[in-house]
Amino acid sequence: MVSNAGIEAPRIMTRNVALFVTCLVDLMRPRIGFAAIRALEAAGCEVVVPDGQTCCGQPALNSGDRDHAAALARQTIEALEPYEAVVVPSGSCAGTIRCHYPEILEHDPQWLPRAQAVAAKTFEIMSYLDEVCGWKPEGVALEAKATYHDSCSGLRELGIKAQPRRLLKPIEGLTLTPLSGEETCCGFGGTFCVKYPSISNAITAEKADAIDATGADILLAGDLGCLMNMAGKLHRNGSKVRAYHAIELIAGMGEGPAIGEEP
Amino acid sequence: MSAFTDRAEAALTDRLLKIAVERTAGTAETKRAAAVAAFPDFEAARTRAAAIKDHVIAHLGAYLEQFEANAVAAGARVHWASTADEACRIVVDICKAAGAKTVARSKSMLGEEIGLPHALAEAGIDRIETDLAEHIIQLAHERPSHIIWPAMHKTREQVSALFKARHRSPHEEESIAAMAESARRELRAPMLGADVGISGANFLIADTGAVCTVTNEGNAELSLVPPRVHIVTAGIEKIVPSMGHAIHMLRMLARSATGAALTQYTTFYTGPRRPGDRDGPEEMHIVLVDNGRTKMRGEGLAEMLRCIRCGACLNHCVVFRQIGGHAYGGTYPGPMGSVLTPALDGLRQSRDLPQACTLNGKCQEVCPVRIPLPTLLRGWREKSWREGLEPTAMRLGLGVWVWAARRPRLYRLGAAIAVRAMQLFARRGWIATLPFAAGWTRHRDMPKPARQTFMAQYRKERGK
Amino acid sequence: MSARAAILGRLKGAEPDRAEADALLIALERPRVDEGALEAEFLARLTLPSISATHAVIDSMDALPSAIARYLVQQGQPLTLCLPPDPRLSGCDWSAFTLHDSAAPDEAAALAIARKGIAETGSLIFETSAQAPMLPNFLTLHHIILLAASDIAPYLEDAPLPGLQPRAHYWITGVSGTTDIEGTYVRGAHGPRFQHVILLRQRRDVA
Repeated sequence: MVSNAGIEAPRIMTRNVALFVTCLVDLMRPRIGFAAIRALEAAGCEVVVPDGQTCCGQPALNSGDRDHAAALARQTIEALEPYEAVVVPSGSCAGTIRCHYPEILEHDPQWLPRAQAVAAKTFEIMSYLDEVCGWKPEGVALEAKATYHDSCSGLRELGIKAQPRRLLKPIEGLTLTPLSGEETCCGFGGTFCVKYPSISNAITAEKADAIDATGADILLAGDLGCLMNMAGKLHRNGSKVRAYHAIELIAGMGEGPAIGEEP
Repeated sequence: MSAFTDRAEAALTDRLLKIAVERTAGTAETKRAAAVAAFPDFEAARTRAAAIKDHVIAHLGAYLEQFEANAVAAGARVHWASTADEACRIVVDICKAAGAKTVARSKSMLGEEIGLPHALAEAGIDRIETDLAEHIIQLAHERPSHIIWPAMHKTREQVSALFKARHRSPHEEESIAAMAESARRELRAPMLGADVGISGANFLIADTGAVCTVTNEGNAELSLVPPRVHIVTAGIEKIVPSMGHAIHMLRMLARSATGAALTQYTTFYTGPRRPGDRDGPEEMHIVLVDNGRTKMRGEGLAEMLRCIRCGACLNHCVVFRQIGGHAYGGTYPGPMGSVLTPALDGLRQSRDLPQACTLNGKCQEVCPVRIPLPTLLRGWREKSWREGLEPTAMRLGLGVWVWAARRPRLYRLGAAIAVRAMQLFARRGWIATLPFAAGWTRHRDMPKPARQTFMAQYRKERGK
Repeated sequence: MSARAAILGRLKGAEPDRAEADALLIALERPRVDEGALEAEFLARLTLPSISATHAVIDSMDALPSAIARYLVQQGQPLTLCLPPDPRLSGCDWSAFTLHDSAAPDEAAALAIARKGIAETGSLIFETSAQAPMLPNFLTLHHIILLAASDIAPYLEDAPLPGLQPRAHYWITGVSGTTDIEGTYVRGAHGPRFQHVILLRQRRDVA
């Protein structure tokens, strides 16, 4: 269901952009947030980080706790609606806002239009930079062989597929080698990996093997949950593959510590 | 732990199962992709197929009546069953009235769903399964583990052993061809000598009253044409308006299931034999089965009734590919099974099924009738939550999370503490064990966070 | 209340609009068939491994028995043949054959006349009638099918008969097979293991 991804690049670049950093990035890997800001500023945007943001409510939504998901949706909508555009360094969180907020609030006549309004102006970051800003990184170099995993929500809810690859292409010295089964789920699935750890592990183990088989130095994706899952398994296996969020390389921060190399 | 997780654990350690699953479901994935690529505008065809099914579901009552009228006009008898038990009773009564000692069955998931094998056994009627995979699982006293390949969980060695133990003149050569030959020999006479033939239906054609079956082996025709009585058991959602609509669905079915353009045999039966016909049954009975379908239609699961039982969602599901079909514990496995089983067997005993899913959406992507499977699964999760079926630990954990997330200032404080605390468990950037996170750390490491959250660093940097 | 009344009661709704149902079949997506080369398209499908049929061409009904004999000899089979009671076959010289008019469970060879061939899929189309029993086509090991080249139609939509339906209308697309054991394809599960199409290519086709 590539639903709300029919994005057309407007003639004028949106200047006033709010970053919805996501709870996972905020807690577990802030440098993704800083990479997002860097790239957006390089693309000519003025970035604001609204105060009232915590979590988009995806854990509640996926657990079936519709009431709490709606509560967090309202809170998030309120925090984000003053801005011209909202950019999110996560396909699943952007998908939650774009695709699911209007669903969650469909029976709320007061909030539904507000949800639809925010949904319409919320973008996953690589889609925003590539399709809305029409931007490419310049002067970024990284000598490495990378492979790309297409995270499921971004791929199927938002159509994130070509955009990351287009943004990575101009990076001098970086070669992208295809990952066999690049669109196959990595086994994270949010709470799934802790509710059904053995099944999740079996899926993740196959993904880790496929990643190793590419011979790449670096694993890239657009969702931190997936990345932590895959990187965590690779590390447990003793693999030498290092993982980054793609936006980090795109923003020229690819020489920083990879996931799990936090000093 | 639950019955489901026990079964899943057992399946995960079964190396032979994994090999068997990859050989069938894995191959089907590749073949389907090739068939889809070769088809002009498969996406539009999917939309059309979904629209056809939605049109039928919206007018299901009228189409069923039209089907009944035409089937009866052609000489068939049409029976209606609200429940599985009623359906079985009707079938058994027809068999008894026909003085049947043996019935030949061609594959029918609906038959499995209503418990027909058991009902026939209870009634003392011998059942000859003519589909090769159904024959295998009958010998093994097992239930199907896939809707297209019921015996996909069995390796050739296991099948060979079964046939050598139970066939009158089993194969000598250890090859699959020889085993199939052995089954052909074994089943020929019983199949042709059965008193009653029982089939399912892939499609019911409303404007002619025809019943359509599709097979690759020819066993359906050999089971349903010789006996005096032919009984069809079909879910009421199998209706299509006309042959033309059936043809579009048939184009989608084989391609989605196995990557073939069409199955070898596609047969449309309209009533019993005609005067002058050289063969065919004298009586044809069609049992239209509800078994929860009208309820599904009325309670938010109408889209699930589009399902044409192709099995594509199973083949592409990362969970199914790891645990196989039996772990699901119901008639139907995989994504479609995870939506159907709570409806058929009750949510309480099958609550794991909608939960044991990553919501990755691949199933929806390959479904020929665009069933929004992740949405329907999420619907079951909501019901499960509302009915308090989720484990307390989960409710508590999520409750705490949401409580904190709704209070940004407290949240930031809690987050700051958490990232500091996690440093204590880290060695060289990684955490190998973490309280409350055993599910994660049992199988993988966790990267340690930075000492400060993004929001804290951002605030500091921007001098706020 | 009967189950029928209960079920239909739960399904109360509007009558379907015939036009709406018909509209769903406009501009169908389907594989492209070169309608100017139907025979070539049909034969191309026949030779696909998934169908595994052989074929021969004759230019008159007189040549039918010898074409069949040739095939059976090639296959190492005796000249026994199950023939349907079709008047179109009565003019042929079957003296070389031992004829059966019904098929045994282990029938070696049976002839059938297909009403149509479909180029899209390589399917042969049959209906039951007094002249056309169904069982021999499934019991036989070698299924030999006579098809007039002029009866080859492009699409599956061309297969069905309009109006009153026969007892059985069936499409046969290749030889019987199964992938039930380990996903490995084997032929001749229950139905015929061999399919041989004899194409009658003449100006005046099978009447």
